[in-house]
Amino acid sequence: MIRYDDAPVNHPTIDLGCGSFCMINYDSVISSAIAIVVTIVVAILIARTLQPGRPGRPQALAEWLFSYVRRTATENAPDAPYVVPLAATLGFYILVANYLDFLPITLLPNVHPANTDVNQTAAMALVVFFAVNIYTIRIRGVGGYLHHLTRPTELPIWARVPFTLLNIIEEIAKPATLALRLFGNLLAGLLMIYVITLLLGNLPYLGWVLGPAALAVWKLFDVLFIGLIQAFIFMLLTMVYFGLAREGLEEGHQTH
Amino acid sequence: MDHFAAAMIAFGLALGGGAIGAAIGDGLVGNATIQGVARQPESRSQLQGIMFIIIGLVEGMYFINLAFGALFVFSIGK
Repeated sequence: MIRYDDAPVNHPTIDLGCGSFCMINYDSVISSAIAIVVTIVVAILIARTLQPGRPGRPQALAEWLFSYVRRTATENAPDAPYVVPLAATLGFYILVANYLDFLPITLLPNVHPANTDVNQTAAMALVVFFAVNIYTIRIRGVGGYLHHLTRPTELPIWARVPFTLLNIIEEIAKPATLALRLFGNLLAGLLMIYVITLLLGNLPYLGWVLGPAALAVWKLFDVLFIGLIQAFIFMLLTMVYFGLAREGLEEGHQTH
Repeated sequence: MDHFAAAMIAFGLALGGGAIGAAIGDGLVGNATIQGVARQPESRSQLQGIMFIIIGLVEGMYFINLAFGALFVFSIGK
């Protein structure tokens, strides 16, 4: 009835034979492909049925979400219009990928919520990391970027050396925590599903009732909530990091 | 001591310590929210949204612990 062949930490891999960058976790590829297709289809369907003046329920929801993202992104990074589609796409895609948990994943082989593979969350965090750093270099220049790494800039130069080390660690910790937070939350949900199937899956008769009931309760109370909150946090932090890149830039312009 | 037992002990330590921190953080967030709502009841919905975001961030640290712990137990300790 319930599949529990391997812990969700171990993924089935295809090894192409050229080092650790050629190992493909094909279950994650399948899962994220499902999430990508669902995201694109839903987005296209909403975009097709847009009509001015008389919004339906999906359109009202999409407009509310998009206007929230646009407001927050322009507050944080007013001169980077590409932050809006980046953050909105990331948020919506992560939400869909998290909600793959609502598929009967204990019955389907090779399907899991796509963010329970650290490769996927690390990829998204790296995209955010490079986008933020390229944006910082664009608005500050390379010298300004290096100068910004030695903040607080009002101290004398010898006192800023330890702060520089801390700032570099902070820059590295940003994408690491971004990736691991999402991964850990979703992995905890999936591990709990695995544990429930281990405990109740091979009880003879009681397990056939209790197992699906426990799974449904867990998915409704944890995955519904955690998936939404984590997608929102990833989206919000993306925009906040763009805002942090501009920190102190306006005051500098006013004093010069 | 074999690898699996060491990994299990590490997992337990990580979970226990992380749970203490996450619980203290959640308690502080709830405390601040209750105080805010008691002072200004009209800002309740706004504060609730912020509270859930902060709870997600605070518990994120704990779930990072849990991810590493699961990595120890299922991958390295095997």
